[in-house]
Amino acid sequence: MSAEPIIRTPIIRMEGVSKFFGDLKALDNVSLEVFPGQRVVIIGPSGSGKSTLLRAINRLETVNQGTVVVDGFDIRSKHTDINAVRMELGMVFQSFNLFPHKTVLQNLTMAPTRLKKVPKAEAEERAMALLAKVDIQEKAQVYPAKLSGGQRQRVAIARALAMNPKIMLFDEPTSALDPEMIGEVLDVMVNLAREGMTMVVVTHEMGFAREVADLMVFMDEGKIIETGTPDEFFNHAKHPRLQKFLDQIL
Amino acid sequence: MSDTIVKIQVTDGTVTDFKDKNLLNAWRLSFLGAILCMAYLVFFHPDPYMRVLKFIPDGLWVTFKVTFMSITGALILGLVTGLGRISRNRFINLVASTYVEVVRGIPLLVQLFYIYYALGRFLRVPDLLSAVIAMSVCYGAYMGEVFRAGIESIDKGQTEAARSLGFNRAQTMFLVILPQAWRTILPPVGNEFIALLKDTSLVSILAVSDVLRRGREFASETFFYFETYTLIALIYLVITLLLSRVVSLMEERLSHYER
Repeated sequence: MSAEPIIRTPIIRMEGVSKFFGDLKALDNVSLEVFPGQRVVIIGPSGSGKSTLLRAINRLETVNQGTVVVDGFDIRSKHTDINAVRMELGMVFQSFNLFPHKTVLQNLTMAPTRLKKVPKAEAEERAMALLAKVDIQEKAQVYPAKLSGGQRQRVAIARALAMNPKIMLFDEPTSALDPEMIGEVLDVMVNLAREGMTMVVVTHEMGFAREVADLMVFMDEGKIIETGTPDEFFNHAKHPRLQKFLDQIL
Repeated sequence: MSDTIVKIQVTDGTVTDFKDKNLLNAWRLSFLGAILCMAYLVFFHPDPYMRVLKFIPDGLWVTFKVTFMSITGALILGLVTGLGRISRNRFINLVASTYVEVVRGIPLLVQLFYIYYALGRFLRVPDLLSAVIAMSVCYGAYMGEVFRAGIESIDKGQTEAARSLGFNRAQTMFLVILPQAWRTILPPVGNEFIALLKDTSLVSILAVSDVLRRGREFASETFFYFETYTLIALIYLVITLLLSRVVSLMEERLSHYER
């Protein structure tokens, strides 16, 4: 799945984005374009700014310089209704962040019923369909504390999907999981990719990257060092830092 | 560093553990003791105890009214103050912090006098209402700190998850953060309820005829000081114990989910 020679407009466009935490440059003049249906996998050592880059897309992290345009909206503009843009951006966190005071079903229906005024019955029906998709429908009435890590992350993915987002952002979705649970979450993500969902994924799972990525991005010290297809990355890495990074983790 | 964290909580309320399944626990002993004591006195020494008991109910009603209205007022003020204390708006933050600082530095009795006479002089507010306002203002400051701590105890990830779904700040606070914070907040707030109930006896100094004031009126007419105050102490004990029971039932109802 290499880049097609058709002219398309990117759904996410970041240009010259910089972000400082005091003296530390978390993002250093980063530019990235993501096209509809594209699967972008961001890799890099910890502290390289990959999570910050992902969080800048839905403004969980405000940036100091540059342009971030998502779905035609300038994220940095004061006139942009950020909540409306966020409804189009599903986000999955490393630590799941399910709402513990709500059942699994309520976790899924809360946002659609409150924010999109979807009737309760309709929202529940759709929630059950999503729970079936992530293969956890039997836990609909359970509170999140009763679920395993893998189950929680699958519910979290379903919760994000319940808003019918155009793009899904994944921030190290398997890093907090026990090894035996990583597979069940990656399976869900692979299926999502096959359905054509636009995805930006920060991960250390190279098998997943190899399987689904259209575009690989390697970051280090707040900069994008190299981009390319999985084949280019894993077989013909150009930059010595990328070669070294891949040697260490593969 | 030791692994065990010893948590010492000093409260002004009762410290009874209702999970204590023993037939004879501190709460039961105090409650039954107080009831039996009252029954004994009223039954075997109807004069003057029965007369006191008949004189007091008006005051009991006033005490309940002041307590309930002050709790409501203090909860609202406490929530607003707690939200103000975590506000990123520096002006709001400063106002809320100053309110807490000032109120905590002035004794409740002085505040009662001050608000009573200040309001009475300029606004002609009814006695009971100015007492309620004074109690609410005082306890609102304490509860503000409890609310702030409760809200801050909720993981930042909860806010991020709610915001990334598209909820605005207010929705995030009221749908996601506060319902969870309430569980942390309720035990200390319950203790404040009990402390407040007891402190309503201070309003008897103003022209509000609560239990204590009714008692004082009775005693000064009949000179049965010892008997009157014995009964009043028992009455306060019984209603305080009942309130602490209500609070612990609320805590149990809130524990339907795990964190």
